Amino acid sequence: MATRTRLELIEKIEGEAQVLYEYEGERIGFAQIRFLSSRHIEKILEGRDPMDALSINPRVCGICGHAHLIATVRALEDCYEAIKISDKALKIREMTLSLELLQNHFKWFYLTILPLLDIEAPIERALEPSRLAGEMIALLAGQYPHNSYAIPGGITGEITPVDLLEFRHRLEQLKEIFRRYLIDVDLDYFVRCDRIEEMLGKKGDLPQAMRTILDLGWERMGQSLDRFIVFGESGFFISGKSTATRMRKHLDLRYLKEEKIQKSAARLVAYRGRAYETGPLARAMVMKTPLIKEAHRRYKDSLFSRILARVCEVPRLLRYLDETLQKLDLSQAAWIDPGPMPKEAKGTGVVEAARGSLIHQIEIEEGKIARYRIVTPTQWNLGNGSRDNLYPAQKALIGLHRNDPAELVFKAFDVCSVCTTK
Amino acid sequence: MMRLLWLSALACNGNAHALLNYPGFKVWQKEFEWLYHPLLPSEYSFKEVEKGMAEGCDVLLVDGTLEEGYVKYRRPYMELLEHYGKQAHHIVTVGTCATFGGIFAQGGKGRSGLHFRGDERLDIFKNFWQKSISLPGCPVQPEVLAGTLSLLKRKTDIPLDPLRRPKYYYAYTVHDGCIRNEYFEYKIDEHRFGRLEGCMFYDHGCQGTYTHGSCNKILWNGLGSKTRNGQPCMGCTEPDFPKENLWQTPKHMGIPARMPLGVPRRAYLSLAGIAKAFRIERFYTPLMKEE
Repeated sequence: MATRTRLELIEKIEGEAQVLYEYEGERIGFAQIRFLSSRHIEKILEGRDPMDALSINPRVCGICGHAHLIATVRALEDCYEAIKISDKALKIREMTLSLELLQNHFKWFYLTILPLLDIEAPIERALEPSRLAGEMIALLAGQYPHNSYAIPGGITGEITPVDLLEFRHRLEQLKEIFRRYLIDVDLDYFVRCDRIEEMLGKKGDLPQAMRTILDLGWERMGQSLDRFIVFGESGFFISGKSTATRMRKHLDLRYLKEEKIQKSAARLVAYRGRAYETGPLARAMVMKTPLIKEAHRRYKDSLFSRILARVCEVPRLLRYLDETLQKLDLSQAAWIDPGPMPKEAKGTGVVEAARGSLIHQIEIEEGKIARYRIVTPTQWNLGNGSRDNLYPAQKALIGLHRNDPAELVFKAFDVCSVCTTK
Repeated sequence: MMRLLWLSALACNGNAHALLNYPGFKVWQKEFEWLYHPLLPSEYSFKEVEKGMAEGCDVLLVDGTLEEGYVKYRRPYMELLEHYGKQAHHIVTVGTCATFGGIFAQGGKGRSGLHFRGDERLDIFKNFWQKSISLPGCPVQPEVLAGTLSLLKRKTDIPLDPLRRPKYYYAYTVHDGCIRNEYFEYKIDEHRFGRLEGCMFYDHGCQGTYTHGSCNKILWNGLGSKTRNGQPCMGCTEPDFPKENLWQTPKHMGIPARMPLGVPRRAYLSLAGIAKAFRIERFYTPLMKEE
């Protein structure tokens, strides 16, 4: 059968990517995913003072730069033999990180996914919660995007009860927005819900989107490797990997390998030589989120499960913010002096960013950054593997008919080209 | 309606996302139309933009570091700038990358801003100089971008500085409006992170006193700033951003090497000597100490 190829530009993701589709007849036989020229941030960091990484790294990405900051500070703190950080500072970091995830989820759902389902929703439904989340981060961290408030030993600013009042008001507004726009159910109830029909029967943009996917008959499209990996741990996420047959809790970063590939600025990444899917669906599978387990039982790791998993993090993150806020003890120190940065050290920082696990590794020699390595979620999900070693998005695209929604399948992974061409 | 065309080169999308956080966005947006924006719904796809179809652009917004030979899809980016730059009535460089080259200019050869590589003037787009406005910042404050576009729409005269930054926003320094200013004025040269008190000028690299910008006049997200939160200003609106050792103050004989904007070293030293001699107790007491 003759093979025809078509090069497609995928835009309005974070940055752009190119996909070279190879058709076999009417169906996609293979897809190469390419990211364009790199900014070389890892190289820019070399030779600099390690603290500079706190200022440079948020600039890896305009939408998930805060995750890069937290990964950086964790990598720097890992360089110390012993370091004390107050529970307060750790909790505040978790809160700002959760808020960045929230604004990502809202923007992705409303600006990326809904237009591909031909559902018209005012863009303010994305922007209003994103602005609120930005304000809440700014209350604790000075500004959003691109602050550098997390530093070895804690955080730069002292937080007063007045800041928390303002924070709480906005958190209540976010909860209202969740109910008003996304799905009209009680937060706690929805977190426990495990019935797809119940979700579909509610009012809101989420059930409407999921019903549309069912009406169009797309619910089984985009099935992929069905292997999931989560490296980051927090009070909210748990790390592990999950395949159809088993679940493993302990991951060892020594098995993480990267290789350069041709025609793409993104390096290929593997754990014990295998590709995995990372991100909200992976997190839900490892955490065993009831509604997502049910979606997966019915439709496997399809775009239906993937989209639902992402949006289902919203109520969970809101509840997590509430709980964390209640436990916050403001009498603790915001920053405990960790002493000078070691002159020779290695450190790793792992974080769950909106799109999945983000890993930073630093090597310090003679007091300067000798090497810096960043592994992003998109390197996993949108990796450009070969025909006998397919990566999640490639696997999901193969077999689609030319009339099938390839762009939706692709964007359901939420591509961050910006991070990947770091 | 004013028609806007946003073209990104090597960017992080931070400027695009910062604009979405503009508190007045919903109302502001009513007067503008996006021929292209990297995130928002817009009239043309990027492929159509590349083909030259996005006619009638009033303002070309250039974002990200320029790189020789950079191609997004099929057409060289520089060619696109040439094509749309000619039609546009105004060209706005959004953020420090597009203005001076910024962080990413350090990542490879042939990288720069539209008219500058650092503070060096470039000739390549010199025909566009007269209609260009620089809005540096990493990212640019949304009020600065939205406000400048609204001023252009109203045909308001905008006084510019030699780097073509609008004075309405860049005549101030980041130091203006910082709530830690008293610690600077009275030379309390001790600062610890995680505290409400203290000034980062002496030890922790704060560049606020010589960085042009409105960060403490127009607050971020309507409510905060780096320096208020206890982070040093990194000088992100200036041509030499990012310098090295951003968290340390370079010093000569124990005195900060770089003086506040326009202040002679001698004047600074005389004032510092007097201020220190008084040792005013209030500045050595925690702000929240109950009395």
